[in-house]
Amino acid sequence: MDVGLLSQYIMNGLMLGMMYTLVAVGFTLFFGVLDIIKFSHGDVLTVGAFTGLATYIGLRSVGVSSTPLLLLAVLVVAILAMAALGMLIARYLVLPLRSAPALNTLLITLMLGTVLREMVRLFYPQGANPKPFPALLPTDSINLGQFNLRLDNAIMLAAGVTIIVGLRLLLNRTKLGLAIRAVAQDEETARTMGINFTAIVLITFAIGSALAAIGGVMNGLYYNEINFGMGLLLGVIGFSAAIIGGLGSIYGAILGGFLFAALQTIGAVALPFASAYKDVFAFTVVIALMAWRPTGLIQEKISERV
Amino acid sequence: MTGRLEIEGVYTAYDKADVLEGISLKVEPGRITCLLGSNGSGKTTLIRSILGLTPPRAGHIVFDGQDITALPTHKVIAAGVACIPEGRKVFPKLTVEENLRLGAYQEPSNAVTEERMAEIFRLFPRLAERRIQLAGTMSGGEQAMVSIGRGLMRAPKLLLIDEPSLGLSPLFVKENFNIIRKINERGISIFLVEQNVHQTLAISDYGYVLSKGRVVMEGTPSEIGKTKEVQQAYFG
Repeated sequence: MDVGLLSQYIMNGLMLGMMYTLVAVGFTLFFGVLDIIKFSHGDVLTVGAFTGLATYIGLRSVGVSSTPLLLLAVLVVAILAMAALGMLIARYLVLPLRSAPALNTLLITLMLGTVLREMVRLFYPQGANPKPFPALLPTDSINLGQFNLRLDNAIMLAAGVTIIVGLRLLLNRTKLGLAIRAVAQDEETARTMGINFTAIVLITFAIGSALAAIGGVMNGLYYNEINFGMGLLLGVIGFSAAIIGGLGSIYGAILGGFLFAALQTIGAVALPFASAYKDVFAFTVVIALMAWRPTGLIQEKISERV
Repeated sequence: MTGRLEIEGVYTAYDKADVLEGISLKVEPGRITCLLGSNGSGKTTLIRSILGLTPPRAGHIVFDGQDITALPTHKVIAAGVACIPEGRKVFPKLTVEENLRLGAYQEPSNAVTEERMAEIFRLFPRLAERRIQLAGTMSGGEQAMVSIGRGLMRAPKLLLIDEPSLGLSPLFVKENFNIIRKINERGISIFLVEQNVHQTLAISDYGYVLSKGRVVMEGTPSEIGKTKEVQQAYFG
């Protein structure tokens, strides 16, 4: 295989890994503060992407044509809307179920995910069909020897890295981050320190859901197409990534996200069967990894939770 | 002087079974008030009720004239209460410094937080040496220092201390009680919940004895020390 093609695959793997990481980090944050699995997370990503698309179409129809402005509006509206949706889910579905078994939260968010998905399908105009997503980033490419680096991919990758680093700084260097980590370690003692537990949960859900919105928009920009079912697979992959990395650890989510993307890429490129089997291959390896390391690659004992 | 806590007829239940059955007591400003009782007598439940972690099903808790009975925990803390919880409860995967910072979570000024931290480090020089060590990797005695320091970071009017001697060596218990007295000398009211009768009575101004969810006697340390009821509360 020539170097140019190989580097394309690597770039593609990195892009996928970044999107999976953004989803996986959400799972890890929610599990960190509340010990719950929120299964509607992937569908929140879908709603985020469609919110972004609707914002684009709406602004275009009133005559806004500046691409940077449109991109900014798409991102800001998607992020704010999903942050609000995340807080509503936390406030009215997740927190009221605190005294119930964790399984009930899993079930109720699974059902909510279906509701969100079906709402996009039924209420978005022709929502059952895939929708073209506008290319809002410059698509020029820089030629580096045999490898064409597309500018939009480079920007998305850089943006993703910035977001993850930013999140890490938020958690490690700010008072809010300290409060989130305290709640993750010991909810009651955190409350005894004067931390408003409910507020911290809502903020954490807002952050996780905003990351899903970014992942959804990124997915649209990357594939130039979105559909109502996109969040389903992304949710399952993000969840798997969080689990194989070690649920509760941000580094685990990053590791899991990129590992899954690497597996898919290997499955598509390096193995002697059709690339359609890439997910089968990737999930098979994940199952094997989980049998080998049931608590994830980065074990909670040694890693710092959230 | 402020830091007065009044508890009036408090009933607290877990799953419908009452653990506290009509507790009434007072913590006077600037004093050390103790509550003695054996395991399972309801001491920790009373602390949890005051903090709003397990809200009472009946009765009133009034702090400096404000009814804090139904308040969420962070608002009880905002009223001027801090707690050194049973078993120390340090955040194991946070550093000593982060643990202390959390104690001053509601303090908006960074300068004040830093100043208080410097004060805690003067009180416990050992913590200064270990400020970036994870609290979970420290010895029990050191964790006790972190927990006490964290409670002081709030600069509370009232400090609730739940079994400070639990699981510590006798030497450190003595040291701990000295520190509690020093804290009180700064004008902070203290509500000390303990099993360790002699050392507790030695530093207290007034005491209550709890048995099976009820206050069975109250009085000055010398009155409590003399009575048979204390013995009964423990062994009867």
